[in-house]
Amino acid sequence: MTENKSFPELRRKLNPGWWTANRHYVQYMVREWTSLFVALFSLVYIYGLSLWVTGSRSAFLNLLKNPATIAFSFIALVFTLYHAVTWFYLLGQVVPIKIGKTTSKPWQALVANLILMLIVSYLVIWLLVLR
Amino acid sequence: MRETRKVARLHAILWGIFSLGGMIAAFLLPVMIYLTGIAYPLGLWPFNGSRDPSFLVTGTLLGMLFVFVTVAGSLFHGIFRFQSALTEVGLLRLKRGLEAVGYLIIFVGIVLLAYYLLVLNPSLPAL
Repeated sequence: MTENKSFPELRRKLNPGWWTANRHYVQYMVREWTSLFVALFSLVYIYGLSLWVTGSRSAFLNLLKNPATIAFSFIALVFTLYHAVTWFYLLGQVVPIKIGKTTSKPWQALVANLILMLIVSYLVIWLLVLR
Repeated sequence: MRETRKVARLHAILWGIFSLGGMIAAFLLPVMIYLTGIAYPLGLWPFNGSRDPSFLVTGTLLGMLFVFVTVAGSLFHGIFRFQSALTEVGLLRLKRGLEAVGYLIIFVGIVLLAYYLLVLNPSLPAL
């Protein structure tokens, strides 16, 4: 479709530090970079499974008990929770729910989804560990 | 025209998986990080010494599915979003290369994850 345009597409040139111009851009960029920790945790977990498959179960468990892994897990948890909070808020902005004459606000979606996340987390723990 | 439609459909599918991965990372990843990376090594609730996180992988079919869905969904979402963020901080000219590397990591990561889970569970455990 773009190739058929008879006029040039003019894009504003941005320098790499454009996102430091104001607080909203910084928040946006921090939100995007939290995804690095989401991906890294997944890769560490896959690496742990590789240790188990090629070595032993204790190699996998030792990786989890390594102080560096524990420190990384704390950081990853903070960033993942930040991802969750911003994602739930975004959901409220993108898909507001209309009930009668009122439309839901983003903070309401955030609160509802956070409560749902706590319920889901407890269900996971109950089903997979406590049961 | 047909080519454009095909590309647009693929684009829509990839963004759909990205959104699903975002939901998975938001709802399931925090509890997984807590269980495997914090509660187990520090001996916090719900691990009281009788079980460890390897039970999630080989204990039940539900646990194995939880591990696959959470890790695969989070990997897709995280890499997809991160490579897109890199193009916004001055690497736009490397967009194609970043996408190629990103999809390669996602593909290899998910295939390895599935392979490891199947090797560790030669006969699928009960639900």
